[in-house]
Amino acid sequence: MAHDIRDLADEEVMQLVQQGDPRAFELLYDRHGGASFSLAYRMVGKQAAAEDVVQEAFLSIWRSRLRYDKTRGSVRTWVLGIVHNRAVDGLRRSMVHERRRETLDVVEERHEARERTDVEVARREEARSVRGALNTLPDEQRRTIELAYFGGYTQSEIATLLEEPLGTVKGRMRLGLDKMRRELVEGVA
Amino acid sequence: MTDHARHQDDVGAYLLDALNDLERQSFERHLRGCGECQEELARLRPAADALPASVQQFEPPARLKAALMEVVEREARPTELPRRRFTRPLAVAAVLLLGLVVGFGVAQLGGDETRTVAATVDKAMPQAGGTLDIKDGQATLELHDMPELRGPRVYQVWLQHGDQLMPARTFEVGAAGTGRVQLRGVEDADGVYVTREPRGGAQVPSEDPIVSVPL
Repeated sequence: MAHDIRDLADEEVMQLVQQGDPRAFELLYDRHGGASFSLAYRMVGKQAAAEDVVQEAFLSIWRSRLRYDKTRGSVRTWVLGIVHNRAVDGLRRSMVHERRRETLDVVEERHEARERTDVEVARREEARSVRGALNTLPDEQRRTIELAYFGGYTQSEIATLLEEPLGTVKGRMRLGLDKMRRELVEGVA
Repeated sequence: MTDHARHQDDVGAYLLDALNDLERQSFERHLRGCGECQEELARLRPAADALPASVQQFEPPARLKAALMEVVEREARPTELPRRRFTRPLAVAAVLLLGLVVGFGVAQLGGDETRTVAATVDKAMPQAGGTLDIKDGQATLELHDMPELRGPRVYQVWLQHGDQLMPARTFEVGAAGTGRVQLRGVEDADGVYVTREPRGGAQVPSEDPIVSVPL
């Protein structure tokens, strides 16, 4: 029997969160807050806006904790999905599409060797493999996927932006994801 | 064009959150009845789910966790906190809030009693004011010249029952600064209060009331 909740797997921690345990929620944040903040920051490009996104997302996770259903995916995927949704909402609401990269704030970069745990090693390996899979895509597929997922643009906005037919944009997203999937899941491009 | 032909190309955009609201609702309606699209979605999902892992990792500031945990810990004890917090507004409302009491009256209208009680507002909002009208168990809280809230915050109404504060509706005032909220259950309440809370509302108030209507 685990005496320290830090030994519990995410799904078990989530059960405690669902019972309203703030310590379990804190652990959930400790485990996924960094990835959440990094995703939000990549999307909104400003530290203060990224903090707002993460705060809203985690409060929503806390308040709708009973909605988590482990049969539909991992805790991490669920958490990052909520963060992604909030960031997209924020981008579309404030139309900060003329924002970003040129004004990237300086954030403290995560120290490479902060924690040499198996989890950290596995995450770095995963990051390498996902970046590798993205890089195998033809430029126009990668660009379309990045504009959609990280830029928060709708498919119609992307079609206008790239001056391409909507059908072409839809096709690039689907083909690009398929190629990434083969690269990641089956290890072939 | 069949429903499927029209929607099958949206799978990628759906996974990447690149459909607008109408397109997404339409796709989800189709998806419920289409095994082929469900399979395609399940097949491509791991690629979309992997995307967050590709971004450069940064350390979130400690203040983010502190702010979050402050709210979570407060909300994790909904049965204890209202009691502790609520003794203060009762004891100090008259001293701390010292707003303008605009008027208090009982009007008789064709046999139906309408009771109008003035709201006491925080002195930090000198222009603001309002009234609570109670008639036939229905109450309407109307406020004016309230500051428009920035960021993910809204106003929230609380009903006092003894030493408990029960969360009621949230509302926004917009640029005009006016708010109008219909409330039920006010006839047995001992007071109606307003605080500023995160969007979506809170289970326990996070500050002393900025508007008070003791009954």
